[in-house]
Amino acid sequence: MLILFQNLFAPPRHMILLIAASWIGLTLAEKHSERHGVSREELNNIIFYGLLAFVIGGRLSFVLQNITTFAKSPSGIVSINPDIFDPFGGVAIGLLFLLIYGQRRSLSLWPTLDALVPFFAILAIGTGLSHLAAGSAFGKETTFPWGIDLWNALRHPTQIYETLASLLIFSLLWFQKQNPRPGILFLTFIACTAGAQLFIQAFRGDAALIFDRYNQNQVMAWVVLVISFVLIELRINPIKKPG
Amino acid sequence: MNRSQRITLYILILIAGASWIFISADPTTAAMAGTSAPQAGFSAPDINLKTPQGEEFTLSELRGKAVLVNLWATWCPPCRAEMPAIQRMYQEYNDQGFIVLGVNMTYQDDPFAVTPFVEEYGLTFPILLDETGETGAAYQVRSLPSSYFINREGIITEVVIGGPMSEALLRTRIEEALK
Repeated sequence: MLILFQNLFAPPRHMILLIAASWIGLTLAEKHSERHGVSREELNNIIFYGLLAFVIGGRLSFVLQNITTFAKSPSGIVSINPDIFDPFGGVAIGLLFLLIYGQRRSLSLWPTLDALVPFFAILAIGTGLSHLAAGSAFGKETTFPWGIDLWNALRHPTQIYETLASLLIFSLLWFQKQNPRPGILFLTFIACTAGAQLFIQAFRGDAALIFDRYNQNQVMAWVVLVISFVLIELRINPIKKPG
Repeated sequence: MNRSQRITLYILILIAGASWIFISADPTTAAMAGTSAPQAGFSAPDINLKTPQGEEFTLSELRGKAVLVNLWATWCPPCRAEMPAIQRMYQEYNDQGFIVLGVNMTYQDDPFAVTPFVEEYGLTFPILLDETGETGAAYQVRSLPSSYFINREGIITEVVIGGPMSEALLRTRIEEALK
């Protein structure tokens, strides 16, 4: 079953899973967008322009980081290689663009982020599946019976752990009827995702380490968890301005 | 849940999270270099193949050089498309200690098409014939072309599945492998 899946979506076809997840996520987000006071059209625009900014931003960021190389081969800037891409730069530029777009369209930040939660949650599931197909984000070696044979060893199926965790988080939030304040839904999603990553990253076999010992992604997830808790509390009990 | 209960819950979760980071800390996590697998961070699986002229090449004997292992077939359009760029990069970086091993998937290709292909593209780097599928299996090939950039210590620094690779992409990956 796993081998069939990995053969079917072997790289570069694993990108299909991300595209399918984006489409399903957008469809589901549209269903609930009105509940958060965001029109379907506006939601479509946000996701479309956000993805466009992510793709262009990721490419530009990669080019800028390797500017001397691209000065020798400038045609590479517009080549079709998906590997010419910096995902962190893409996310940064995508978010920056969305902030500017939201301000110009006078969109409220928190309700818009709440409306985007199904999109992000399904994308997280798609990311886990694409990792499984590509064999990336792989686990440590294990003797557990549910270990998968990957990269010449029996390993923790960390890609399956992250897919199941994302599925669980999506299910919990999709059926959540209460949203006491705008932003709580989004921040709960962030806190749950950070919590899940904090746990799962311990089983990763390719983790970057801090002080040659501590998993960098776990530390980052813990920091995100702290920030999301602080923001949840500030959303529930806003600091009252004097006077 | 009132405010103090929530804050207590946050603190408990954060303490549990921090404890998990300490408990699960494992300095051996990044020690993948001793294991051989066709994935970035691992030692490159060894290759021992012959050229059409019978000259033998062993990947592990190329330690000290940065190597691009490019798995290809004559019937694969992206493989054909990226060959001129690979040849140019081989010529440009060869004197810095860079070598290309072009491994033809002969077991799923026409062996008589290989030499005309090499002549058509003017390839001067070693072309190796995988007649039994041994290298294809070791590199777990599921798509062609598949390219593996290997540093001077024999560790895979980058894997590019599919193509064609542009000259700029090749440059960035080769320079990384040469560091």
